[in-house]
Amino acid sequence: MPDLISYLQFVLAPQMLNGLALGVSVILVALGLTIIFGLLDVINMSHGEFYAVGAFGALALSALGFNYWVLIALVPILMIPIGVLTERFLIRRVYDGGDRHVSTLLLTFGLGMIAEDLLKIVFGPNTHRPENPLPGATEVLGVFIPTYRLFLIAIGAVVIVAVALVVYRTRLGAMVRAAAFDRNMAASLGVRVGWVYSGAFAFGVALAGLAGVLLAPIYSVFPTMGHDFILMAFTVVIVGGMGSIWGAVIAGVVLTQVQAISSLIISPVWADPIVFGVMVLVLMFRPQGIFGRIGHA
Amino acid sequence: MHDRLDISMRANHVFFGILVIVALVFAAFASFSGDVFYLRLATEALILGGLALSIDILLGFTGLLSLGQALYFGIGAYVSALVLREAPSFWLAMGAAGVSVLLAGIAGGLIANRVRGVYFALITFGMAQVVAKVVYNSRELGASDGLIGIPVIEVPLGFITLSAGDPLGFFLFTLVIIALLYSVSAYLLGTPFGRIIIALKANEKRVPYLGYSTWAARMAAYVLAAVIAGLAGALYPMLRGFVSPELLFFATSGDALIMVIVGGAGTLAGAIWGAVILTMLKSVIGSWTEHHLIVIGLIFMSAILFMPKGIVGMLKPFVERNLLRNSARQPKPEPERTAL
Repeated sequence: MPDLISYLQFVLAPQMLNGLALGVSVILVALGLTIIFGLLDVINMSHGEFYAVGAFGALALSALGFNYWVLIALVPILMIPIGVLTERFLIRRVYDGGDRHVSTLLLTFGLGMIAEDLLKIVFGPNTHRPENPLPGATEVLGVFIPTYRLFLIAIGAVVIVAVALVVYRTRLGAMVRAAAFDRNMAASLGVRVGWVYSGAFAFGVALAGLAGVLLAPIYSVFPTMGHDFILMAFTVVIVGGMGSIWGAVIAGVVLTQVQAISSLIISPVWADPIVFGVMVLVLMFRPQGIFGRIGHA
Repeated sequence: MHDRLDISMRANHVFFGILVIVALVFAAFASFSGDVFYLRLATEALILGGLALSIDILLGFTGLLSLGQALYFGIGAYVSALVLREAPSFWLAMGAAGVSVLLAGIAGGLIANRVRGVYFALITFGMAQVVAKVVYNSRELGASDGLIGIPVIEVPLGFITLSAGDPLGFFLFTLVIIALLYSVSAYLLGTPFGRIIIALKANEKRVPYLGYSTWAARMAAYVLAAVIAGLAGALYPMLRGFVSPELLFFATSGDALIMVIVGGAGTLAGAIWGAVILTMLKSVIGSWTEHHLIVIGLIFMSAILFMPKGIVGMLKPFVERNLLRNSARQPKPEPERTAL
């Protein structure tokens, strides 16, 4: 019996908590994706690059002497104009040209390529390792966890709840959901749909930037950092239901736990095919995901 | 005899014919100057053109966006490489690759054709990711290094034998294969069944009212595209002597998608033109700077924003007008076949 307890305490619990930290980060990225899809019907293929831009933004600003805790607020705010400009001048141009899903997907795919190469030109292809603002570990119920990961889980939970409250409990959120449900009806009731679209896209981009800042101290910062991470976020969004906030949260937690626990049993390299396999299965049998869309819930 | 699809297909043939002429002129110059590098690169461009062609059948004709077509290209390449390592026979490798991608295409089609639209794009992406990750982690398949040491093969063509090691010969041979793939695709899309596939893109809801099964047509288009991608992929190890898991990754699918969009979706010839143009462009830009992504990305985005029909799609109306004028001048030998 002591073996089992020590296994739980020293192997399973830390693995699950690390998985939770990863899950919270994936959910932050996935929230932006799912809001942009739910409202604009746009699959934002450049979302991973916005996440990398956030991380590099934090890196550059901290080199200028900004405090890390200021950056957590500053970087997302700086991402908003980038998001608004992208939506107004690029994505909006292809909304009505043929198949919106295809054209916007291709456009954001091209945008991602350019953004990735721009990051390489500005910051070089090397990996950067920002300083950890909360070094050391904290003991929780006899388990030692890196303090920063605990902080990440806490702030992630706060952000997720805040986003859900804004979308489901405020007048602004009601306008957003109305625009997603019936664009023309919302417009005729005085909702400025054009601004709602820009705002929602910028909000999603800001969330990606926030995830970039928060994850920079744990994962290294490099120009292609968005690639692998975005695949996980896409999976979470699909499994949870494209455009569903709670779906993304639940799928994010479950899938990262599956990944964390399965990598104790089998080689961690096989966790990836399993997660993508789950994604294909969900698409086969319940393509709309576990939960419905933003405007329809 | 000449309805709009016929005219459109004949315009595509004109563009493909120009490509063949350009390729032959290039081959003449290259053999004259004794060049090897550019002949090899042009051969690779044609092989990638086969992959782009398969994406165009889905995107440009059936209206399905596949984000994982590299899956079949990669399967073709891996099967061909595995066969060539055991028995260096060209026809055996092509046959094995063809049968494997046919089966893989049927399996993939059964999975992917359960869903439509954006979910189809995502499910093709997911399937390719699963297989790519499995190959990447399988030591039997060379894991992240891929399979190397594929022998240079001899291709017996009846009265002559051609070596894959001969750059000029293999370039011309690849040109013939790609021309065959192009002709088969164009022919099949022109048959009455091919017209049902094209009808899917125009209006999928109406097809069943006309008494046709949308599922069968979609499935046929998907399997055809898989086989074409796989046969093109089977040529890859013969050219390069190795295969790597990168061939299955999204980057390969994405590159081929860019070729289709820049060349012109729905024109068949445009996909191959796009492959040739982008491969050459990458090589030229690559000799100046390592940041070729930014240039390709800008070209791709400008194509989507300002030239959504692509290069061939933009030039096509002029050719079609000429063809229409010519066919109007000739007496009609038989009554017109009605379009779907």
